[in-house]
Amino acid sequence: MKKSRRILFILGVIAGLLYVGYQQLDDSQKRFVNELARQVPYMIPRYFV
Amino acid sequence: MADYDVIVIGAGTGGLSAGAQLAAQGRKTLVLEQGPRVGGCCSTFEREGFHFDLGASLIESPGLINMAFEQLGTTLKDEVDLIACDPIYTLALKDGTRIPRPLAVDAAAEEIRKIAPDEVSNWYAYIDYMKGFLNAAHEFFLSPTLTANDMARFFINSPEMLKYAPLFACSYQDVIKRFFKDPRVRESLSYQTFFVGLPPELAPGLFAVIPVGEHDGLFYSKGGMIGIPEALRRCGEKAGMELQLNTLVKRVLVRDRRAMGVVLADGAEITADIVVSDVNAKMLYLDLIGEEHLPWLARVGIKSYEYAMSIPMLYLGVDYEPPLASHHTLATVPMEDMNDFWWQTYVPRHFKPDEQFGIISWTSHSDPSLAPEDHHVIVLTLTPAPYHRADGRSWDEIKPEITEQIIAYYDKHYIPGLASHVKVAELATPWDFERNLKTPQGAIYALRQDVTNEAIFRPAARSKSIKGLYLVGASTHPGGGVPTTIASGMIATRLIETYE
Repeated sequence: MKKSRRILFILGVIAGLLYVGYQQLDDSQKRFVNELARQVPYMIPRYFV
Repeated sequence: MADYDVIVIGAGTGGLSAGAQLAAQGRKTLVLEQGPRVGGCCSTFEREGFHFDLGASLIESPGLINMAFEQLGTTLKDEVDLIACDPIYTLALKDGTRIPRPLAVDAAAEEIRKIAPDEVSNWYAYIDYMKGFLNAAHEFFLSPTLTANDMARFFINSPEMLKYAPLFACSYQDVIKRFFKDPRVRESLSYQTFFVGLPPELAPGLFAVIPVGEHDGLFYSKGGMIGIPEALRRCGEKAGMELQLNTLVKRVLVRDRRAMGVVLADGAEITADIVVSDVNAKMLYLDLIGEEHLPWLARVGIKSYEYAMSIPMLYLGVDYEPPLASHHTLATVPMEDMNDFWWQTYVPRHFKPDEQFGIISWTSHSDPSLAPEDHHVIVLTLTPAPYHRADGRSWDEIKPEITEQIIAYYDKHYIPGLASHVKVAELATPWDFERNLKTPQGAIYALRQDVTNEAIFRPAARSKSIKGLYLVGASTHPGGGVPTTIASGMIATRLIETYE
């Protein structure tokens, strides 16, 4: 229980840092990240082609 | 016993590179090409005495191409009559400024000095950094990169690559902006991002190496770009490779997840131990093989790839000497305009014949034999265009109308007098590329090229689903372009040597 709470806390911190980092980007950089993020879910299946 | 050791589907530069090298290894090799000539996008055709390059208009990275010829016991220089292009380009900026970009780095620096003296030191810093990357990454273009292990091995063997890791996580535009402040210098380095099929803000930063690589030499092949594939064909045939033109492959024969040969359009079957495909990977797996032969994860993966953009070309034969300064002119716009073009014109599926930028290739400047006496050849590489137009109009139907508009635009902005001197005009649209080259949606770079589609995430050179099947060409690693597709042929050959 304690362990999973710690993992959740760490994941929360990482998500927070990513969010803050993303907010620092200009619009153009955000579009770059958004386009990559849109395709990230397909990277695992693409690895098997 | 199979009819052939190897069947290669498609005589593009990737297919011919693999076919010639496999034949040179003593394998009985047959190359099947659906079209009437070799080369795919790197080819040349004739109309009324004018010789036009179909797609590819310049030869970069001659060292990489030369390696393929060396494996065939010869050299690029011995096989192809190369004409050096110096200046590499004349840059025609949006504000009307014309800047030559000489081949020598120092001479290019002097040209930059004339418009932005403060950027000269940045130019050298950019060249040094990117040359370092090019040297570190050289092996990458010849590595199979099939698995995560291959990638890990590459980075372990080239630890200096870690220095360049940021290039994988930022855009082309970020890299150029980091080095340069002057808007005109930035603009002069902008267009090359379309060589990988993406606008500056979406293309990965590692491709900012392209303008630097150009200074290793940019060439044209005497007689047209078909000189390169014809040379590969000649070397292959000398080694015993057989080639059949006008032969369309309808299906790849697969039994128990092993490639056994091909079925032609007329129903004839030709068997082989190994099949090498130089067709678009998405078309290969979904149409020629069939998804029923693929594991479910591979099925999801292959369907997820997006086609790269298509770029229409306008082939012009003219009866005057066009007022251009060099073989290649890059009609550029600032990076922000290229991004706006992407989001406001290309993505909403528009094409504006009166808002153009791209490459003007005056090929008869280097090789007058491409046109009748006192005539010239100009090939315009236009702005990217959608396969399906938003207005629903057929590309075939609007061809005459937009041809006229494009000529008028270039007459006004880049080539004065053009409109009244055109003798032959032929426009190739995305539909034409699809019809003539069997490249789906006319996508000349096959599949989109960003980090989620590259290296181990691009369809593998050695199929992970079908035994005995190998991929070459723009849709496998290292991607689209003449030197890279030739490199894909070398990679496939090496893999076949190892596994078959």
